[in-house]
Amino acid sequence: MAHTSHTVEQALGALRMHVIEMGGLAIDQVSASVRALLERDPKLAEAVLSREATINNYDLLIERDSITYIALQQPVASDLRLVRGITRIAIELERVGDEAKKIARFALQVAGSGDDAPVHAVARYLRHMAEVSVRMLRNAVRAEDESDIELARQVMAGDRELNDEFAAALRQLMSHVMEDHRFMQATIETIFALKGLERVGDHATNIAEQVIYMVSGEMSAADAEE
Amino acid sequence: MSTLAEPQLQTNPRQAKPMHGDTEGDASQAPTLNIVLESNRPQTATALKAIAENLDFWYGENQALKGINLQVPEHQVSALIGPSGCGKSTFLRCFNRMHDLQAGTRYGGVIHLRPDNVNLVGPEVDPIEVRMRIGMVFQRPNPFPKSVFDNVAYGLRLRGIGNRTELAERVEKALRAAAIWEEVKDRLNDSALGLSGGQMQRLCIARALATEPEILLFDEPTSALDPIATAKIEELITELRSSVTILIVTHNMQQAARVSDYTAFMYLGELVEVDVTSKIFTNPAKKATEDYITGRYG
Repeated sequence: MAHTSHTVEQALGALRMHVIEMGGLAIDQVSASVRALLERDPKLAEAVLSREATINNYDLLIERDSITYIALQQPVASDLRLVRGITRIAIELERVGDEAKKIARFALQVAGSGDDAPVHAVARYLRHMAEVSVRMLRNAVRAEDESDIELARQVMAGDRELNDEFAAALRQLMSHVMEDHRFMQATIETIFALKGLERVGDHATNIAEQVIYMVSGEMSAADAEE
Repeated sequence: MSTLAEPQLQTNPRQAKPMHGDTEGDASQAPTLNIVLESNRPQTATALKAIAENLDFWYGENQALKGINLQVPEHQVSALIGPSGCGKSTFLRCFNRMHDLQAGTRYGGVIHLRPDNVNLVGPEVDPIEVRMRIGMVFQRPNPFPKSVFDNVAYGLRLRGIGNRTELAERVEKALRAAAIWEEVKDRLNDSALGLSGGQMQRLCIARALATEPEILLFDEPTSALDPIATAKIEELITELRSSVTILIVTHNMQQAARVSDYTAFMYLGELVEVDVTSKIFTNPAKKATEDYITGRYG
């Protein structure tokens, strides 16, 4: 049911719209950074880095507008959960943006590397983890947009797949580095990239938890399992 | 006192369907938000409707207002807050010369009304003229013991409007503006005293609006109403500011936060701080303001 106050309706609508836009941008950043890494495309990596500021601006915008909204409208119940959830989702998305930034920097470093570089030894895993983490993130943002608890629960289920892939990629890298010690540094960097994608999945999970809380008022205990 | 800043603009939700998908890596598709953090800066100078300068007021020997300086921006809602006895209602009543009805009162300083710069508290200015331009809505709904129609038509008839068609048109316009037309259109000839409290208050707002005042004063307009009726009046206040400048006294700080663009905090007859409402309620400049709005007063 609509609010008696148009001001409230408008402020909440704007906050929701901003967090969805921010989510769309964060999703782009992750997939573009991994593509830049695997396709050795420094221009794409630069594009990712240049858009990082926009993500941070969204975070500041949402932070500022939500604190003003809380101060002026004193939201309670579902309105309060919504505005709190949106600010927490913005924080998660900002961290997703940071992971994409780190992967893009790594992509610039290895843009000139040969096919024997460790990053290419685990390309399959990187590609798959990017797919899974981006899917989780997209579903988490969509769950927020549509207040869909079921979709949010599905997002949380995807985390295990991502963790398994990360473990498998680590084993692959171990054997790679044992065969050839020259790639020690590059291997460590590659692990960071894989870990970054694993973190993106964690952020998507956290967003899904926020959606469940926003919609149902239920605090999720998924964090405790980590 | 510093010049008032433009209140922070509410960002409109965009019409476009939000994107969920990754369009992959085209930098030109990313929205640029360079303006984002600029939006709470003043954008244009706000036109002023009234300016109080060094306004003093005495009830006999007792000085109730001490050198008040306040700019009232046009087509905005300005709220006056402060503890009981701080002078906020006294200040409000200066705007339509309500104090003239009481013996032994005295004004000092000026309140200039734009655009003609008439001094509202000047002894040479007729209080009746002032009240034609500045309407007022009181704490308790006070309709006349007349029909709904006659309540709203009252001020118009005083101004010599006798034409029935014109009267009917202006009464309807005022009732619509006060968001009560739909509720009373079939009972215009019934007594106004049969309406609910919230309806009576909106009728009083319609009565004040009928004569098209330049400023509308609200003196704690919802303190006698239930929360639903309060929400309707607050929404109405937000809508009315496009056509009239609004000054509201409220002892409910949350109400000031919800409805106003600017907030002025008064204490012991002085104006302590005035600023954009979002600034006052997130980061006031004066400690006294902070103490009051956070409930640390007294």
